[in-house]
Amino acid sequence: MNPDSPRLRLSVLGVVTFSLFAALFARLWYLQVMANDEFQVAAEANRIRVVAVEAPRGRILDRDGQVIVDNRVSVQVTVDRSVLGELEPEERHAVLSQVADGMARSGIPSTVEVLEERIADDRFSPYVPVPVAGDVPEDLKIWIDEHADELPSVAANRVAVRHYPYGQLAGHVVGYTGKISKEEVDSVTRELAETKPYTLNDEIGKSGIERLYESELRGTPGVRRIEVDVDGDPVRIIDEDPPAPGDDIVLNLDIDVQAVAEQALQGGLERARQRSCNNCEAPSVGAVGSTVVLDPHDGDVLAMASFPTFSPADLVDGISGTEWSFLNDRANRYPLNNWALQGQYAPGSTFKPFTAQAALKAGLIQPNTVIYDDGVYEVPGCRGDSCRFSNDNSKAFGNVDLRKSLTVSSDFYYYDLGARFWIDQDNVGGPEAMADRLKEWGFHADTGIDLPSEQSGRIPSPEWLRTYCDDVGTCSEDDRAWRTGKSVNMAIGQGEVLVTPLQLASAYATLANGGTRWVPQVVREVRDGVTREVKRTIEPKKAGTVEMAPDWRQAMIDGLVGVTTEEGGTALGAFRGFPSDAFPVAAKTGTAQVNNKAPTALFAAFGPRADPSFAVSVLLEESGYGGATAAPVARRLFDVLSGTEPLPPASPGGALPVDTQLSPDPGDVRD
Amino acid sequence: MATTTFSTRRPIAPGALGRLSRNPASPWRHVDVVLIGCVVAVAALGCLMIFSSTRGRNPADFDTSYLARQLLFIGIGAGAMALTALVDYRRYRELAPLAYLAVLLLLVLVVSGLGSEKKGTQAWFQLGPFQLQPSELAKIVVVVTLASVIAHFESELDIARLGAVLAVVGVPMALILLQPDLGTTLVFVAVGMGMLLIGGARVRHIVALTAVGVSMVALVLNSGMLESYQRCRLTVFVDQESSDCAARDAGYNVDQAQVATGAGGPFGKGLFNGTQTRLDNVPEQHTDFIFTAVGEELGFIGSGSLLALLGLIAWRIWRTAQMARDPLGTLICVGVLSMFVFQVFENIGMTMGIMPVTGIPLPFMSYGGSSTLTAFIAMGLVLNVHMRRFS
Repeated sequence: MNPDSPRLRLSVLGVVTFSLFAALFARLWYLQVMANDEFQVAAEANRIRVVAVEAPRGRILDRDGQVIVDNRVSVQVTVDRSVLGELEPEERHAVLSQVADGMARSGIPSTVEVLEERIADDRFSPYVPVPVAGDVPEDLKIWIDEHADELPSVAANRVAVRHYPYGQLAGHVVGYTGKISKEEVDSVTRELAETKPYTLNDEIGKSGIERLYESELRGTPGVRRIEVDVDGDPVRIIDEDPPAPGDDIVLNLDIDVQAVAEQALQGGLERARQRSCNNCEAPSVGAVGSTVVLDPHDGDVLAMASFPTFSPADLVDGISGTEWSFLNDRANRYPLNNWALQGQYAPGSTFKPFTAQAALKAGLIQPNTVIYDDGVYEVPGCRGDSCRFSNDNSKAFGNVDLRKSLTVSSDFYYYDLGARFWIDQDNVGGPEAMADRLKEWGFHADTGIDLPSEQSGRIPSPEWLRTYCDDVGTCSEDDRAWRTGKSVNMAIGQGEVLVTPLQLASAYATLANGGTRWVPQVVREVRDGVTREVKRTIEPKKAGTVEMAPDWRQAMIDGLVGVTTEEGGTALGAFRGFPSDAFPVAAKTGTAQVNNKAPTALFAAFGPRADPSFAVSVLLEESGYGGATAAPVARRLFDVLSGTEPLPPASPGGALPVDTQLSPDPGDVRD
Repeated sequence: MATTTFSTRRPIAPGALGRLSRNPASPWRHVDVVLIGCVVAVAALGCLMIFSSTRGRNPADFDTSYLARQLLFIGIGAGAMALTALVDYRRYRELAPLAYLAVLLLLVLVVSGLGSEKKGTQAWFQLGPFQLQPSELAKIVVVVTLASVIAHFESELDIARLGAVLAVVGVPMALILLQPDLGTTLVFVAVGMGMLLIGGARVRHIVALTAVGVSMVALVLNSGMLESYQRCRLTVFVDQESSDCAARDAGYNVDQAQVATGAGGPFGKGLFNGTQTRLDNVPEQHTDFIFTAVGEELGFIGSGSLLALLGLIAWRIWRTAQMARDPLGTLICVGVLSMFVFQVFENIGMTMGIMPVTGIPLPFMSYGGSSTLTAFIAMGLVLNVHMRRFS
């Protein structure tokens, strides 16, 4: 056929047209039939935004249902750093000075510098607006909303924040919450992250019960699926899973007892500061202390006080950098720390009952064994000053049995036990025997309390010393060797022995109930946040038992009751006027020497004798003699625990009245 | 408007319809109802899809303003199609030079500053609420003029005559490229090539022209003539993933267009149920990207049917080109066919990512007055040739 034929050329055009249409069909088939799934996913992703709706956090209540922590609405002023960062310096200054002026008009003094400092604070996530002021009045919110155009980056939002009806009471136990950090996002358990996922603006428990019971307290965020248009603007809500509030946590704590404990503790420290400390290496400081009240029946934590205190409410809307540094400053003794379980101290004479039980079990003594106390103990077969250990003031107590050793706090008696544990080690179970027995009381280990950051204390032993020296690496051959003197010191709770106030209270509770060591527990039960039904009851947990023959116990408790009731008892002064017949209190004072500082004042007790319901430990750092400064704090507690004085209901909200009129002044007591 | 002048020239003669039954060669007995049917069907579907993509972002919205205007455009277009078919196409030969000069004048005016600018292209006259796009009308005028010229040369296209033909198509093309409207310029290239092929141009000339065309495209793409966004729009389809254009609007547009079409699947999401369509995720969807609305809401069944209808139209035009009683008729049909097929392929190909993005409307589907009018007038020309194949 002639290539120039119009017919042929028209056919060529037809073929070209047909091919082009065929190509379109092929592509259409690919897109719509073969790759359909992929594009469908892409179209859904275009259309739907999933927004988390924060759920209210569960409440924290005391054992009687008093609300210690719940939620309220706060109006918060925030500044979005990413928006602010794009402004010119003058513009930025103008915006911030307007905000500062607005705040000042609403009665919140502020300056551009203060705001800038808040904005620069790197504790806040860079992806969420920084809260610069919390709890601002409604009129400031209205003003900010109305001037949104002139105040780029600034917003005033209503947010749910933690509310503390009792102010700072029990602050260390309940803990505080704050914006979740990047590290915390990564560290939450997979289960929690799946059931209650976090976004960067969410609150998380940072300490105490808030932290440990995060998975229960945290509400389940609602999920709202929103259809958005091409600009990302919401068109409509497609569906919504409403948020579900978190569970309520009911504590074993009695908020009224807690209030008394905190007041008495502060009163005790106040008094320690005012008293002169005779024979002390340094004046009393009285800056740090703690008090723990346990129920010996089951380990319930009835009260736990630590001083200095902090107010969780201060951390609610974000906290200024200066306030935060204050709370984390060594000079202020770290108010955020719960010294009742984070502080580790030599227990001094409060340790003696445990040495006694260890010696009884080892067969070193019987309850009626008498040791002659002439005031100065010399290690057998050893001569020189380092082998000589004396009672306080070298006072001689004469014939001392177990009972009397506790009542009058004879060091000599225990020096002898300590020395014999080491010297007679072949007959009592080896070089580790003393330490092993003492550890049965729960020392040198976590108590297992349901609060974070617990310290485990230390019971030294030859093996421990070797490990310690290996770790430190600077021990001389002499340092590595365990000597009798170490056992002697250990017997009276000095030397390398360290316990936490919580361990001390727990050990006294164990002594009180006849040898059952319960795990101290703060939480009683978990209740549903909506129905208030009990979802989970925390049963008492047995941590171990300590062997306690009836005659041992009889002698030890006789001796300890003597401390508060008998002439010569080291806490008789502090318990003067206390109805000991009706409510006999078994107690032990302790005064732990600290190099170049005033001694640690300790007091541990339980009562009533017949069926002890309360075990108490009191510890005041750098505060003098236990009988003089720590015992009155416990006395105040036993006044109300015994019903001698009415238990005042904890006052909601208001500042804590410090109980400086602890009655009565025990006078100048030694030990 | 240049086209409306045709109607005043020759009103329907009284009695013209009366001859219908008696004269077997009467044009009225040979109206291509298949073509009309296809055009009406496509235009109706177009209205539906324009409504779907402009009614509002909320499912409850029913904004009919675009729909109403498009219906008006279709009404005007249908009228213009009828008028175009009415006058014997052979008479257009005389009118062609005048119309050609008028269109050139309009094109000069529009780029000279009288025209309105939108998105960097100066292509419109704002006439009250409506916009007139002279480049659309130029397509029709060039097809008719070119057909007249080539028919006049009786398919003997030596180099000189070829030069004349190229000048006829080249001058308006150059003016449109100045706007700059690359898409419409390319339509002229397609029209020119198609008509030269059928008009008897030597094969070696066609090959040479193709070579020159390709090298010019390469030159334009690599020179500084185009803004970078224009270059991106043209090249993004080649390499959608890695090119630095992908992050720009062009890549976004093509992506969203394909997501919409692809998400429709075999059966579509149902009329008014397309989320890409309703939420405006595909820019320019009611105009250049109208095919994606069909794809998303009516699926392969719907968009495949649309393609088939468009293919049917192409076939009827091609068939008419074959059946035309003279070269002029054949050439007019070939011009319309080239224009139509190129626009369909470029437009749909662009929405599916196999052709570069250039602003070309889909005939009878895309929202717009000038383009709708042009498409209808073009079909009027084909109907004209078809109905007069025996007279």
